[in-house]
Amino acid sequence: MKKLYILGLMAFVASCKPNIEPEKPSKGDGADFSSYVAVGNSLTAGYADNSLYRSGQENSYPAMLAEQFKTVGGGIFRQPLLPGEYGYPSAKLVLGSRQGPCDTTASLAPVPYTGALDTVGSSINIFNSAGPFNNMGIPGIRCIDFVIPGYGFLNPYAKRMFVSPTGSRPVDEIMVAKPTFFTLWIGSNDVLGYATSGGEGPAAPGGTNKISNVDQFNAAYDSVLSNLRRNGAQGVLLNIPDVTSIPFCTTIGAKSLMLSKNDANLLNNAYNALGGFIRFNEGANYFIIEDSSVPTKFRHIKEGEYILLSTPQDSIKCKGWGTKKPIPGKYVLTGDEVARIKTATAAFNNIIYLMARRENLAMVDMNTYLKTLQSGITFNGATFNANFVSGGAFSLDGVHLTPRGYAMVANQILMAINNKYKSTIPLVDVNKYKGIQFP
Amino acid sequence: MKKQFLLMGSLLLSTAMAYGAAFQLNLQGVRQLAQGGTGTAVPWDASTIFYNPGGLSALKNVNAYGSVQFLSANTRYAETPTGSYTADSKAKTYTPFNFYVGGPVRYKSKLSLGLGVYTPFGTGIKWDDNWRGRYVIQDIQLQSIFFQPTVSYRFNDVISVGAGFVIATGNVKIQKAIPLQSNGQDGMAELKGNAMGYGYNIGVHLRANDNIQFGISYRSGVKMKVKRGYANFTVPSALASSFPYTAFKSDISLPQVISAGVGVKVTERLGIQADANFVGWSSYDSLIFDYETNTASLTDTRSPRRYQNTLIVRLGANYLIGQKWTAMLGAAYDPSPVRDGFLSPDLPDNNHIMATGGLVFKPNKKLAIMGVLEYVFTPTREGTLNEAQFSGRYQTRIINPGIGLNYEF
Repeated sequence: MKKLYILGLMAFVASCKPNIEPEKPSKGDGADFSSYVAVGNSLTAGYADNSLYRSGQENSYPAMLAEQFKTVGGGIFRQPLLPGEYGYPSAKLVLGSRQGPCDTTASLAPVPYTGALDTVGSSINIFNSAGPFNNMGIPGIRCIDFVIPGYGFLNPYAKRMFVSPTGSRPVDEIMVAKPTFFTLWIGSNDVLGYATSGGEGPAAPGGTNKISNVDQFNAAYDSVLSNLRRNGAQGVLLNIPDVTSIPFCTTIGAKSLMLSKNDANLLNNAYNALGGFIRFNEGANYFIIEDSSVPTKFRHIKEGEYILLSTPQDSIKCKGWGTKKPIPGKYVLTGDEVARIKTATAAFNNIIYLMARRENLAMVDMNTYLKTLQSGITFNGATFNANFVSGGAFSLDGVHLTPRGYAMVANQILMAINNKYKSTIPLVDVNKYKGIQFP
Repeated sequence: MKKQFLLMGSLLLSTAMAYGAAFQLNLQGVRQLAQGGTGTAVPWDASTIFYNPGGLSALKNVNAYGSVQFLSANTRYAETPTGSYTADSKAKTYTPFNFYVGGPVRYKSKLSLGLGVYTPFGTGIKWDDNWRGRYVIQDIQLQSIFFQPTVSYRFNDVISVGAGFVIATGNVKIQKAIPLQSNGQDGMAELKGNAMGYGYNIGVHLRANDNIQFGISYRSGVKMKVKRGYANFTVPSALASSFPYTAFKSDISLPQVISAGVGVKVTERLGIQADANFVGWSSYDSLIFDYETNTASLTDTRSPRRYQNTLIVRLGANYLIGQKWTAMLGAAYDPSPVRDGFLSPDLPDNNHIMATGGLVFKPNKKLAIMGVLEYVFTPTREGTLNEAQFSGRYQTRIINPGIGLNYEF
């Protein structure tokens, strides 16, 4: 009697509580996530804020993917973690208050991190103690570098994680963890170095400031992909974003030189003798840039040309860069340089597209996705865009992403996987990760 | 046999018995609620001031009425399409209340006067501060209290009319996280304000014969205006100047409701009644916050709601047991005004199916002691709040007991 009464009461209470549960993820058909290897460059390593540091690595998109793969049989995921947060080899950037010599007040700007130097000893190889590594994201590596023997000797990040830094090729190293599933996001550095150096080449010997040769790119990409596919591993390819759409290029607007009527007049008087091809007005003006291809060696910048984020702000404010003096070419992408970047990006992405088709693999169109980001992408109530700092997706170097930005990349990959393999791996909760941190 | 009865009894209670769809609370009278919310046709007691002011002059004596509900709603969110994440809203009991007093100005007068104080709209849901939907909502509480002085006139034994003027007060409190972080901590926005609005409530009551009654009522929309609320933002110190403490203006258009009902006395002991309510939810088109101080980061917001009009159907029955007890049962179907694409965790609404039951005990001719239990079943609803790109499945269970007293002078 009493028992039944309690039972009845329990049924009553239970019926007042919701009891739904999420659907269980399924791995779908054809993919084995037991050994996932991420092949890539700094974007894959978790590089952010102009350096590599431990929490950046822990929040790399491959680490996020590995966490989601665990719901469908994913295995252990090893990363070549750095010991600390300072940044390796140089200090990461953080937002801080900065007052340049010609600023009347301090303002919010990226400044070098001044915390404890906790990355000492990071040059030592850690393969034996912590490898083999599933995150084979090597900051700075180009597609064409994957077939260079002894690459570990040239790249400090490769040096610390390779089995055989001085002898092997990266294309061999990526197979050490025996991938059953891979993501492949390489090729950005084959054009990025050219872009971030303002198209100033040729670089010093061994430098990476030139746009890679398309045939070399094709051969290296084929070699990497064929190696990954050798044992039947499935995977996802990611193409490369147009670097002229990232904050590194778009933050300082071509027509963002603000002048008073008086200053505009003074500048016009000074330039009048040259024949009037330099004109300033009250309000917004186009900066003056260096351009060795024109007879005067300088001119106004045009729409579709970019002033890079690396341009020293103090030189614009104190030394008259962009007004009295042209902004040096290494901080500017002229129309010709932009065209070369776009042509190369299109050629490399075409190779990636054809490879994906040849291998019948899913491809994530990161180029298009990052263009979509420019107009804003909302996730669970937080809106991201491609603006520097305020956009929330790009880190303080204007090239790499914040953990939230990387989480959005992870979701694009997961959607491609779910679509391809009819799996239902849950998406990453983007807002679980950190965005830009303000003081 | 007795054991079984007990088990059955508790199961019946648990599955049998809320509140209306969206943030309309249809809880303005215990006897009406116990009969599925029907009450336009039959003036049970002074609570007819709300259900049909025309019924007030059908009361023979002055009535004083008071009731309170103890409404607890539990909602669970589950991530979609797959995953492991769920979140439960914080348990909280709401206590909507009603007071009415009214009746003929003197014995057998055709003119009746009354006053109602009731809570027809309200909503609230509180999620964990760190839950996935925190940038959409952490906590929202909307309350309203309507004051309705009412006059009713009985032309003859058949027809009576009534009208009430509504003075509405309310308050709103909203809290959500802002995606601006310092040391991993989100910023926060808190908006609080008091609201005022005016409206009216009119009705016609018809007593066709001793056994059949009809009622029609119209409750106007009420524009609840927050003339001066306050917004407080907690953001990283470097951004504090972009998010000043500021006043804001806003308004929420509560819907008009057109009701028609019929009540039939089938036997001496059994009565049945039915109502239909047309709810003009389309008045709630968007929620606008107009900040007094705007900055580049703090601009006025306008989020679309685009509610759609709904038609509620209600059915109820009452049965006289002996001389002192009356049992009541009812059911209602209250469709959700929230369209697909607008399903938000601040009010994860779905069609409501209500089952209600109640008992009235009359120890003497003047006093009625009333109890009601409402159970609301809302089917699980899956959807996305397009504006925030927030998707999930929601399930809500509402249990709502209430008690009331009516005294007839």
